[in-house]
Amino acid sequence: MTDTLLFTNIDEPGLNTIDVYLARGGYEQLGRALKMEREDLITELSGSGLRGRGGAGFPMGRKASFIPKGDMQKYVVCNADESEPGTFKDRELIQKNPHQLIEGLIIAAYAIDATINYIYIRGEYDQQADILDAAIAEARERGFLGEKILGSDFSVQLELSRGAGAYICGEETGLLDSLEGKRGNPRLKPPFPANEGLFNGPTLINNVETLSAIPSIIKLGAEGYAAIGVKDSSGTKLVSISGNVERPGNYEIELGTSSRELIYDLAGGPVDGRAIKCWFPGGSSTPVLTADDLDIGYDYDSIAAAGSMLGSGAIIVVDETQSVVELAYKLAKFYSHESCGKCTPCREGTAWTFHMVERIKEGTATPMDLDIMAAVQEQIIGHCLCVLGDAMAMPIGSLIAKFRDEFEAEIETNRNERERKLAEEFAAAEVEIEGISA
Amino acid sequence: MPRPVEKLVSLTINGNEVQAPAGMMLADAALKYGDVEIPVFCYDAKIGPPVGACRMCLVEIEGIPKMQAGCSVAVTDGMVVHTDTPTVKAAQEAVLEFILINHPLDCPVCDKGGECPLQDNAFGWGGGLSRFIEPKRHFEKPLALSPLIAIDRERCILCYRCVRYSQEVAEDFQLVLEERGADTFVTTFDGHPYVAPFSGNIIELCPVGALTSRPYRFRARPWDIEQAGSVCTLCPAQCNVSFSVRDERVLRVLGRDHEGVDDGWLCDKGRFAYQAIHVDERVTEPMMRDGGELRPVTWELAIESAAKLLSHAGANTGALVGGETTNEEGVLLTHLMRETLGSNDLDSRPGGALDLELLRALNAPKLQASVPDLQYAHAVLVLDCEPVDDAPILDLRLRKGVRHHGVKLLIGSSRPSALDERAAHSARFAPGCGEAFAAALGAELAGQSSASLAEAAGADPADVVALATQLREAGEEVVILWGERLTAGPRRNEGARALLNLADQLGLNDRDGAGLLEIPSGTNSRGLREVGVLPNASIGLGDAATVGRDAEQIGEALAAGDLSAVILLHSDPLLDQPSSALWQRALGKASTVIAHAAFLTPAVLEHANIVFPAESYAEKEGTVVHPDSRVQRLRRSIARQGETRAEWALLAELAARIGNDPKALTCSMVSARIFEQVPFYAGLSLDLIGGVGIRWSEREAAASFPAAPAAPFTLDAPPAAASPNGLLRLGSFRSIWASPEVEASPALAFLHPRQRVEISPGDAARLGIAHGENVTVASNGDSVTGLAHIRAAAPDGTVFLQTSIPKGSAALLEGPLVEVKRS
Repeated sequence: MTDTLLFTNIDEPGLNTIDVYLARGGYEQLGRALKMEREDLITELSGSGLRGRGGAGFPMGRKASFIPKGDMQKYVVCNADESEPGTFKDRELIQKNPHQLIEGLIIAAYAIDATINYIYIRGEYDQQADILDAAIAEARERGFLGEKILGSDFSVQLELSRGAGAYICGEETGLLDSLEGKRGNPRLKPPFPANEGLFNGPTLINNVETLSAIPSIIKLGAEGYAAIGVKDSSGTKLVSISGNVERPGNYEIELGTSSRELIYDLAGGPVDGRAIKCWFPGGSSTPVLTADDLDIGYDYDSIAAAGSMLGSGAIIVVDETQSVVELAYKLAKFYSHESCGKCTPCREGTAWTFHMVERIKEGTATPMDLDIMAAVQEQIIGHCLCVLGDAMAMPIGSLIAKFRDEFEAEIETNRNERERKLAEEFAAAEVEIEGISA
Repeated sequence: MPRPVEKLVSLTINGNEVQAPAGMMLADAALKYGDVEIPVFCYDAKIGPPVGACRMCLVEIEGIPKMQAGCSVAVTDGMVVHTDTPTVKAAQEAVLEFILINHPLDCPVCDKGGECPLQDNAFGWGGGLSRFIEPKRHFEKPLALSPLIAIDRERCILCYRCVRYSQEVAEDFQLVLEERGADTFVTTFDGHPYVAPFSGNIIELCPVGALTSRPYRFRARPWDIEQAGSVCTLCPAQCNVSFSVRDERVLRVLGRDHEGVDDGWLCDKGRFAYQAIHVDERVTEPMMRDGGELRPVTWELAIESAAKLLSHAGANTGALVGGETTNEEGVLLTHLMRETLGSNDLDSRPGGALDLELLRALNAPKLQASVPDLQYAHAVLVLDCEPVDDAPILDLRLRKGVRHHGVKLLIGSSRPSALDERAAHSARFAPGCGEAFAAALGAELAGQSSASLAEAAGADPADVVALATQLREAGEEVVILWGERLTAGPRRNEGARALLNLADQLGLNDRDGAGLLEIPSGTNSRGLREVGVLPNASIGLGDAATVGRDAEQIGEALAAGDLSAVILLHSDPLLDQPSSALWQRALGKASTVIAHAAFLTPAVLEHANIVFPAESYAEKEGTVVHPDSRVQRLRRSIARQGETRAEWALLAELAARIGNDPKALTCSMVSARIFEQVPFYAGLSLDLIGGVGIRWSEREAAASFPAAPAAPFTLDAPPAAASPNGLLRLGSFRSIWASPEVEASPALAFLHPRQRVEISPGDAARLGIAHGENVTVASNGDSVTGLAHIRAAAPDGTVFLQTSIPKGSAALLEGPLVEVKRS
């Protein structure tokens, strides 16, 4: 493990204020970046191998290089709508070190020549929004934002925009619609935001953690940064470990560290020495992995090879005492509630799945329903407009595939329980039905 | 933006090579060029760019790992597409199963059943089984989305078409989706009924029975009806329509998509005013005045009496011809008037005769812009007209141009326009001062001083400069969409010259994609002029042997007793002519008033001696000419109601009885005669016109159009706009809803306008008038009352009143200044 990058001095009191940030070398990298040619800066970002930390893992520098050159208005939008269940890393970054994000964002804005920029923060992050607002005001006051910053020719504006509580607004195009004042629905891609994004202008959208990593890249240089981590997964990553572990929280790790080390050494593993039933490697929308997968390295490619995704870096640990049906229920409820309703498979498929899991819980399902439920997940995956549908279908599909026995057992238990209750009710009401007795 | 150049690409669909224009969406290209149907729900090219929401159209494209939505992938060279693989079939079945889980499947009682894209797609691509046993979504049903449209939210498949239409086509921004996920439903933004000029289009857009027409609900099943294609003649836009006919009754009007005319949309008047064909108020038998009242009589008596009265009046007969008259009727009327009665006093223009040379110049084929030009021009100048009222469907076309093709929209009008918010610049001038405004604009473009002309027009000189700058910088292709009122009234010839000069300054003559497009006052005004229904022109806009009286002069001559008889062919001068007072006098004095009318409108009811029932447009055959020179064909779609007879036959019969038989045995004989006699129609035939019409100005015969003088013309100084001095300048407009058909249609009657007095907030405050209050507008002892309507965009010093309404029309007042006060 190298020294921390994103979390350097993270717990120092007052780091969220500009004076402390400056005293720790803040905004120095911005000054260096502004002296670089834009092309070189983008090459540097590409060379670092930094991959998007929001969930999709697309190489950040490559995305920036897609932004067309020209006189049109370009934008950088920071996605701070951290809504994926289990993910809470951006919250800590914003709350404790907002200037790191702002510095990174300004560097990115300079790289693509975006003079108007936004941070879109989820509505529930009230305190963090206030902190960011204050930090932006400080940065403006000190001349890091505004006209011709730091004596360069680059003028840059940054505004904070707050969401209203929709998961779908974390999807980049849904976010753009919301930012434009519309109903937050994903857009058809292509055109990709790099070509036609906010207000139809070329737009670079990146996650809080991605942008916050930029000052470190400038500081270490592309090669220095790429030396951290493993091939195609360079740098450090914040992981939010939650669920059945002793020490849930955010940890900055070098990509490629073994997953077992993260869950057991950092987070302390499940309480009372319980076994791990399954774990979500990258937020609740990723297919679950099991205890057999604990020894794989925590990096993009290794997790993908194991059949899941690194996603947002949120590890949710589920121990042996938990019910998979309950798990599926929570997932289906969340995603059907958050489906925007624009495309058919997600709108109907998530709601249908939720109703089916509900029936398992009520005791009115049969094992045949599991086949239908698994088929419905297949019918969702790859058919949707955005990834929200897949975000439910993949974990639920993987739960059914990996824990079918448990589902069937619970179906049986719940049916028996329901029939017993019914029989009691009938008996109490003195109704006699053939074949049912109390 | 100029039209995109079509470039063909080659792609392979299901193993077959297909050529299609680059950029076309795969679903369209497959159907049109590959004979492969890719099912869709949410996509319809006419709504705008695809959104890929329903996912019905998933296909496999080689080289792309995920399935793609065929509605939203543009075809490219070398693309290899599969629409019939097991993967695609599985996706189609999956999507249909999903769509159907919440659909009530109440097809047997659904209006859409039998013509339902959901039924068709389910039959063609669905799996045929559902595994869904949970309860379906429930909503209260059916609900009135508006007096015209019912919404059944249970049937809705959330394809977004109606919402996108409201947001991106009509831009009325009323329809929205509320809630999300499976709870999403369509509603209006403010919960009020969806009332808008073009709301009915969502009924046709809906791919299920969620949005149904309230007037049509439960009136027929698709297998009970026949579709009959014709043209709507309720306004100059002449949209192509298809009548749904059951037992000789029109039960519904649908669009008959025509890119060159209506772009697939209809206004609510066009969609619902068919009801007026089948109402009791309609005149369906001949009537004669007897003891002061109109009473039904036999055809024989009516024709014989009319022939006698007209013979008696002879050359002392005048005729006013309304815009709904066909070319054939127009020609037979000129035969009756000129060659039979010896009178040249006939007119189809309410604004006074325009100098024939100028009329030719304005109608010269090389100066004519087409409707699609509005969508692709660099800039469109809307001059002295309000498209949404005057030719509604053009309003949608202009919005499309601005939204999708970067057209720079510029507006010069007296009354605030519905299009103002889409315009790059809007300028206001005093009512009736279009001439001075056009002259100012022309002068500014010519590099001369425009300030004094702008002031004469009552316009802000800076506005004129701004418009001229925009026009100059926009690009070569400029279309001027102008209203007939610019060439009406005492300064009509000067107005025409100013307009022609403006066109000359912009170099619009003989330039592709540029030109003039007039919105005339009547549906077939253009055709009627071209076949010589003018006091100063013969057929084919030739010189008249003798120049007769124009509409106003006919009125004056009747009032003075110089004329004794008048024929009102689809014309009610108390609704259509600028001065009601003159026509009250004229008709009061006339001894013979023969009207061809469908409704007993004021002049007919009070003054006609003989009323012949007019055919409705669904009953009529003949030709009309679209303002952009497209000759279109009306086809008889239902039997004539009641005793109604063909009007062309009646006009021929009248002439024959008076002693000059035009020898017209069929309507098509008359059409053929017109094609022979109008030099620039040469070679046309009804077959050639067919179902889509043909623009004569694009044909070779257009070279035979009579020569016209060329701009620039010398202009004399226009009179200055009246200075209000505490009074208000009177402007008038005709609402889209001001028509007897709207008034007579039960479903639309709620929209039929009552007088409203549009004033600016400043004037309202000065006069102590609140919105919605009763106010009186008076001049020279005449007055009308109406409800005050304060419009933020209305210019100070001006009041706007409606014309063409039976009670309290602006035509009752004499301008230019009026007094407005609380009643």
